[in-house]
Amino acid sequence: MVTIFRHALARSWGQILAWGLSLALLGAFLVPFYDTVASQKEQLMGLLQSYPPELWAFFGDASTMFTPEGYLTIEFFSYMPLIVGIYAILLGSGLLAGDEENGTLDLILAHPVSRAALFFGRLLAFAVATAAILFIVWLGFVIVMNWSTLNVDWDKMALPFLSLLAVLLLFGTLALLLSMLLPSRRAAAMVAGILLVASFFITSLARVDKNLDTVARFSPLNYYQSGEAIKGLNGGWFLGLLACSLVCTILAWWCFGRRDIRVGGEGSWRWSWLPLPARLRQSKAS
Amino acid sequence: MSEQTVIMTQGLVKFYGNFQALYGLNLEVRRGEIFGFLGPNGAGKTTTIRCLLDLIHPNRGTVRVLGLNPQANPVAVRARTGYLPGELHLEPNLTVEGALRYFNALRGNKGDWDFVRQLAGRFDLDLKSPIKNLSHGNKQKVGVVQALMHRPELLLLDEPTLGLDPLMQQEVLRLLKEARAGGATVFFSSHIMSEVEAVAERVGIIRHGELVEVAETATLINRALRRIKVRFKQPVDSNVLAKVPGVSLLSPGDGKSMLLQVEGEVDGLIKTLAGFPVSDFETERPSLEEIFLAYYEADRKEVK
Repeated sequence: MVTIFRHALARSWGQILAWGLSLALLGAFLVPFYDTVASQKEQLMGLLQSYPPELWAFFGDASTMFTPEGYLTIEFFSYMPLIVGIYAILLGSGLLAGDEENGTLDLILAHPVSRAALFFGRLLAFAVATAAILFIVWLGFVIVMNWSTLNVDWDKMALPFLSLLAVLLLFGTLALLLSMLLPSRRAAAMVAGILLVASFFITSLARVDKNLDTVARFSPLNYYQSGEAIKGLNGGWFLGLLACSLVCTILAWWCFGRRDIRVGGEGSWRWSWLPLPARLRQSKAS
Repeated sequence: MSEQTVIMTQGLVKFYGNFQALYGLNLEVRRGEIFGFLGPNGAGKTTTIRCLLDLIHPNRGTVRVLGLNPQANPVAVRARTGYLPGELHLEPNLTVEGALRYFNALRGNKGDWDFVRQLAGRFDLDLKSPIKNLSHGNKQKVGVVQALMHRPELLLLDEPTLGLDPLMQQEVLRLLKEARAGGATVFFSSHIMSEVEAVAERVGIIRHGELVEVAETATLINRALRRIKVRFKQPVDSNVLAKVPGVSLLSPGDGKSMLLQVEGEVDGLIKTLAGFPVSDFETERPSLEEIFLAYYEADRKEVK
């Protein structure tokens, strides 16, 4: 499992650095900008209040723009689940199905590697890679905050990243589960992506339309705290997201342990691969 | 299952959705032999090999590899086995050495790296080359090296010479013989008859997911029909020859030459011919390919 983990992580270094440094640079740009925003509070307040509430539903509360947590929510954390979520979904859906479809999994599993070692080694690499990206971004924020009036303690600054990590793990493992159920990696990524976007819209719109509250309860992003986590992490929400991720992981593992490994170049199974009792299959064949 | 049996399948059945790939396959491969698994594309060769490594799960039947059940002990089976898939895909971003070191790490670094260099030298394979720059044939060489590098007890090779030039094909066949000489059992699938005939002591012919023949290669060839053309110094009675068991007359000719077909041993015919003034004797020995095709010809006739 250690070899699988190290190899999978080594393959992700480029992505970790690209995503981590890009978003850290965005943070490095946003933090000093807070000083400018704060100095023009009166003029900006008037401008912001002229925007419709439907727009603010997606980014947070305009009245909190001049607090550190409000500013970070509006400018950064509100849309991060969508941006980094795409990375998590692509990585999660390709964790096993990607190599299976390009044919390399066949040879790896012909070595003395159990399916459990392969599955959990790669899953651990995915979790570490995702955490590493968020760590680099967090570090970027914390370093630049030394030269800004946007002064948040390093440990409190870590809390919204923890909330974001839980969301990313959930969507990554959901994509992994879907890749075990659906005919191809692409289909899994597409469905997981649609669920992510739908969750974002439902959660956001529920802030202005109370009729959506019931639906929003089932939306994972409803339990994402965004920059508000700086004031304190909601442990129940955080653990709830992790628990859902664990359920997806267990189901994905169950599917992977019982399915056939596809032959390289085969692309994807037809829908008919879905588990049917052997007798039913035989009667169909005859 | 005796200790001399390395691979054993009984009643192996495999479905892919509604398509049945294996129909109760019974197979036995003995320790220390080179066993050629013959069949055209889609006959079930790859499916059988993948069941042996637990890459796919059979729907019914028993599988034992090296005395172990691959479904219960997949890691133990794979640790003692070298495998070359029929459709070889390698990570393009690694170098040849990087890929081989990764495979070696998966085996707990038990591979013999001097042996790897030796194999690479025999295949004229540059260890520093990136996989993405390799031709299909060179990738196949990497596949063969990774299968052999830890000197496994059992080699499961799916079309090992696929994409290799004739010289390298010969090198692979030499390596298989060397592996066998070193105590390994070799089970390889192919649809190239000449290479099976060249190295395999026994062959199994698979047709539509069923094993239709298992025999020693030489026996299979000797047992088959062969044509014999005989010329005599003076006309002879062809009926005398036609009465020899296993002999039939294909063309009586003019009595001075005739074409005969012999099934099985030719001993009886030769002893009969000894009583005649024979001037020339030609025999056409069938290749394994002809024998193999005969099974499929029979199948086509059944379909018609």
